[in-house]
Amino acid sequence: MTDQLGALTTIFTEFYYWITVVLMFLIHVGFCMYEVGASRYKHHQHTLMKNTMLIPLVTVTWFLFGWWIYWAFPTGPGLAPSIMNESAALITDESLFSAKWYVPNSDLMAVNLGDHISGVFWAAFLLFAWTAASIVSGAVIERITTFAFGILAIAIGSVFWSIDAAWGWHFDGWMLKLLGYHDAYASGVIHAIAGGFALGILIVLGPRIGKFSSSGEPRNIGPRNPWLVTIGLFLIYTGFWGFYAACNIPIFNLGPEYGMEGVTYWTATNIYVTPTTLSGITMNFLMSLSGGLLAGYVISNKDPFWTYSSGLAGIICASAGNDLYHPIQALIIGGIGVVIAYNLHYWVERTFKIDDAVGAVAVHGYAGVAGLIICGFVLNGYPSSGYSVGSMWVGTDYAPINPLGMFIGAVIMFGVLGLIPGYILAKILHAAGKLRIPRDVELAGLDYNIMEAAKKDERAVSSSTR
Amino acid sequence: MATVTNWIDHLSAAEVKGAIYPGVGTESVLVIVLLVIWIGWHVITSVSEDDDLAKLAKKRHSGNDYKSNITDW
Repeated sequence: MTDQLGALTTIFTEFYYWITVVLMFLIHVGFCMYEVGASRYKHHQHTLMKNTMLIPLVTVTWFLFGWWIYWAFPTGPGLAPSIMNESAALITDESLFSAKWYVPNSDLMAVNLGDHISGVFWAAFLLFAWTAASIVSGAVIERITTFAFGILAIAIGSVFWSIDAAWGWHFDGWMLKLLGYHDAYASGVIHAIAGGFALGILIVLGPRIGKFSSSGEPRNIGPRNPWLVTIGLFLIYTGFWGFYAACNIPIFNLGPEYGMEGVTYWTATNIYVTPTTLSGITMNFLMSLSGGLLAGYVISNKDPFWTYSSGLAGIICASAGNDLYHPIQALIIGGIGVVIAYNLHYWVERTFKIDDAVGAVAVHGYAGVAGLIICGFVLNGYPSSGYSVGSMWVGTDYAPINPLGMFIGAVIMFGVLGLIPGYILAKILHAAGKLRIPRDVELAGLDYNIMEAAKKDERAVSSSTR
Repeated sequence: MATVTNWIDHLSAAEVKGAIYPGVGTESVLVIVLLVIWIGWHVITSVSEDDDLAKLAKKRHSGNDYKSNITDW
């Protein structure tokens, strides 16, 4: 950095992403509070510990291979050629955005005076990875082993989310080129995939003891601490601001980027390097939150747990197109997503005896899928990229956004990269006897030994006279 | 071990070297160490968790036994 303007742009971008990481940390704090509030007293500490330990588990694997996957896999491989080197192989060449620079023993994966951006960008994506794993965490509380959850958290956080981001959340991703996929704030690439992955696990894991009567009727195991759930969800909303900001590039000159001779156009862009404004997405964020809350309040008959969750579902549903929607469109789409997610949750619960303890599959998975499909209709015809415009299925240029491409994209996110891997991995862990805690432990409570020790300590202290 | 011993010399070089952490060139060894720690951690915690769960399951507590262990506020 030898000129002041260039330095200012670089340091601003570096600081921008750093702030988003701090804000996104609140998502994890929120998920922890939410899960503890939703779980029963005898499982509290293990529930919290499980969600806390995903931080190091996903971080280390993200350092080892998760970040590399994102940069290596945009072409599939083999599905559409890269615009950087025109090859459909893994991107591991010498080009600027190659995965070659992001192997764990690269000198760019450390303090490096020549690179002010990779580390904060790595961290922003890592926080998305935590979120994906944390979404799964809530669904499986009170009966999964910490070991199994750790393996599954690594799989969704450092492997499958990273693959889906490379495919559909990268300026060079094959899903943009072949399908016209568009998912600006991650309805699919975070939420649908995590919801699908959670559902795949739940099918194998089974319900908590007592969740269903002998005749198969579901029983409500409601949140034990509604206030903690409330604060947790508000913290997730807060962290979501950071998430939205982290999905943008704050300052970029699109003229030379798109090859427009003599044109200078500085703007914020989304992850696909197409223009948007922080101002506009702020309006859309708040309006889709409002749409979700308004719909949730009505459809759940004023149930606090579902109303707060519906605010989140509203944002998630509108997120795919919130870089371009009108705020009123964002509000309506948020509301529609909530109606779909709420009804699907109870239908799936009754029909397939699925015990999703916090409604994670509904709020993230169903609302995310609905958001992708709706986006295909509302943004039908918009370019999925600024680099070129072409037709579907060709792959050498970028297909426009369209309903069919977005529907296929939703299937890939929820089913191919979410539900199927979650199911298979859970089956393997189940076969190894590592998936579910013993029945007697579930009845006694995961925290039984900790609580018993604390009671003994208390008795000893209270019987002391000096 | 020190990669930089004089900042003036470092920053006034014709080509400023970006990597400034200690032990530049030992990155692969550090990755191997991390992998060993990583795998070891999983093995140790998995065995420990299995042991804890088996011991607790053996006691066959009822679903309400934990209530006698609730501490005072």
